[in-house]
Amino acid sequence: MQRNFKKEALTAYILILPFVAIYVLIFVYPTLDMLRMSFTDSPLIAMPNGQPIENVGVDNYTRLLRDRRFDTSLWNTTYFVALTVIPGTFVAMAIAMSISRLSGRLQALVLALFFMPYILPVSVVYRIWDWTMNFQFGIAMYFFDFIGMERVPVFKITKWFMPAVAFVTIWWTAGFSVLLFLAGLRAIPAEIYEAASLDNAGRWTTFRRLTWPLLWPVTALVLTIQLILQLKIFDQVYLFSQGGRVNENLVMVYYIFQRAFTNDHGGRAAAIAVVLFIIVITVSVLNFQLMRLAGGRNS
Amino acid sequence: MNITWKNITASAVLVLGLPSTIMAQETVVWWDFLSGGDGVRMKQLISEFNEANSGDVTIDATTLEWGVPFYTKVQTSVAVGLAPDIMTYHASRIPLALKQGVLDEITPADWEAMGLGEDDFAAQIWDGVTGSNGKIYGVPLDTHPIVLYYNKDLLGAAGQLNANGTPKGMGSRSEFTEMLQAIADSGDAKFPLGSVTADGNFMFRTIYSLMGQQNGELLTDGEFLAGDNADKLINALAVLQEWTNAGLQSTYTDYPATVALFTSGEAAMMINGVWEVPTMADMHAKGKLFEWGAVELPVIFDKPATYSDSHVFAIPAGSSQDPDKRAAVLKVMSEILNGSLFWATAGHIPAYNAVTNSAEYKIMEPNATYSSLTANMIYDPKTPLAGVAGPMFDVMSTYFVPTLNGEMDPAEAVEKIAYELNDM
Repeated sequence: MQRNFKKEALTAYILILPFVAIYVLIFVYPTLDMLRMSFTDSPLIAMPNGQPIENVGVDNYTRLLRDRRFDTSLWNTTYFVALTVIPGTFVAMAIAMSISRLSGRLQALVLALFFMPYILPVSVVYRIWDWTMNFQFGIAMYFFDFIGMERVPVFKITKWFMPAVAFVTIWWTAGFSVLLFLAGLRAIPAEIYEAASLDNAGRWTTFRRLTWPLLWPVTALVLTIQLILQLKIFDQVYLFSQGGRVNENLVMVYYIFQRAFTNDHGGRAAAIAVVLFIIVITVSVLNFQLMRLAGGRNS
Repeated sequence: MNITWKNITASAVLVLGLPSTIMAQETVVWWDFLSGGDGVRMKQLISEFNEANSGDVTIDATTLEWGVPFYTKVQTSVAVGLAPDIMTYHASRIPLALKQGVLDEITPADWEAMGLGEDDFAAQIWDGVTGSNGKIYGVPLDTHPIVLYYNKDLLGAAGQLNANGTPKGMGSRSEFTEMLQAIADSGDAKFPLGSVTADGNFMFRTIYSLMGQQNGELLTDGEFLAGDNADKLINALAVLQEWTNAGLQSTYTDYPATVALFTSGEAAMMINGVWEVPTMADMHAKGKLFEWGAVELPVIFDKPATYSDSHVFAIPAGSSQDPDKRAAVLKVMSEILNGSLFWATAGHIPAYNAVTNSAEYKIMEPNATYSSLTANMIYDPKTPLAGVAGPMFDVMSTYFVPTLNGEMDPAEAVEKIAYELNDM
């Protein structure tokens, strides 16, 4: 039968049109508008009877160079990524490898226990840890007292804040990575391990020579997901900062929120958002290339 | 539940059976952020209003999340023309609201229609709803200052009560510190003073009061902490830090923990908003609380001064100009104001003079004891940067917390606060 390419193309266009239309409406257009807004002194929401909006050129961007809060937020975001992405991935890998040694119902039970925190909404995660670490009444403080340690208000001291939030984040999100790693581990054929044990390979060698390289695609995936997720960190930092040392705990998305919603500086917030957008894209591309190179070496 | 079902049934009856009544009925869409003990009381006021005016005006009320979420939603709804007909607002947020253009003026004609005016409110309260252009943007419902709560049993045991049951050392910094020390020495309380030291936003109220006691101002001629105002803020922080260093107040304590320390008898006194009065009153009524009282803040510096803010009713910009609707909105405001004696059971001091001058109010405790402070109230500086959950809050909070807990020197904190405030 003669295929009608023209007609097929038309059908294809019609079929993807709804998606493209929605994509343009809720992603492309707002992104372009954000870019435009970042060159103005627009408030968050322009009112017909509010102040007139002026073009300020690149002022919103040059301002960032001498903005203390921007420095803080950039540094904290980097710090948070360093504290969560690689440690979180390895914790999940370790948990997955331990779980894979179990079998049957016990395995299902332990997996469920590790996965449980992941299904909690962030507000609940915040409540649990805020109460646990409450300086006056938190259960952890009684534990500190018991082992003779001095009580530490972890979420109120700058030095402790990021590590504590990073810990909570890993506790909260590791479950999902564990699932991915388990799937990856199950995909490795048992015969390979049998062959290795016939060759008298030790545990470490088996891990280094077999598990690690065969698991690499999953590891790369988990790292990438974590990296993008943690660069956009907001919820936990916002919640744990309430009433505390907000401006010392700022991360980039929080700073965007603060500029836009608290200070009503839509234009300046848009400029920070554009910078974050560029950072996320650059880091993702770099990360992808790096993973590809590392993967190439292993395969 | 009962009331809800009744309302649903009532509206169903209206919709199905009595279309003619609907024609004459005005529905006033109402938004508030009152979700605590005061929220319960407001809901009662609203349902009483609805019952009294059934078939005429109905309030359709929604309670939203306090703070930034509420005010952002207001701004968005005004921008797209879906704002409520009436909403609660904080007087301290009015300067920011005017910059954003979200409020409608309450015109002299409106005031006349309500039968209310400048003379019906205390001067500071009226000033709080007056915009920089001299127009009025809110109908004040109350003023809600902070007060000193105290545990009569613990203070009595430490010999710190006057004959009339009020705390002794309220006249000066040294007197108050001595009282705290005496309570500490008595050994009955873990902390003489429960302080919200983990929440800088909250402590702004106390610290700003202490600045006011020295005639200090945050904002003068568009500059923050100019001249000796910085020193006055240092003094205010220093006295609080001194109590921390001497072990006289709780450290790193958040808001709920502070209330818990006080109600469990671990803290003998607490500086907190009047909105906690219902908590104490309800617990006491159930026999779960010691004898307690609430008084105006102690005079730590030169003169009495207490930070306060007002809940006001405001009309969003671009509201319906339909005279019937406007009349209904004004009716809601004036009737709730007339019934605000009940609102006082939420601890707030009603703004309407006719209520506070009434005989019933004068015997209402503990409100009557601390009502004297209305003469010494100070409000937020009038700038779009001030106000509940406003931009100033984050800056203050960041440096208040370490200072109050003895981590940072007050002078260093004030230097950083001044830099950041002027850099916003």
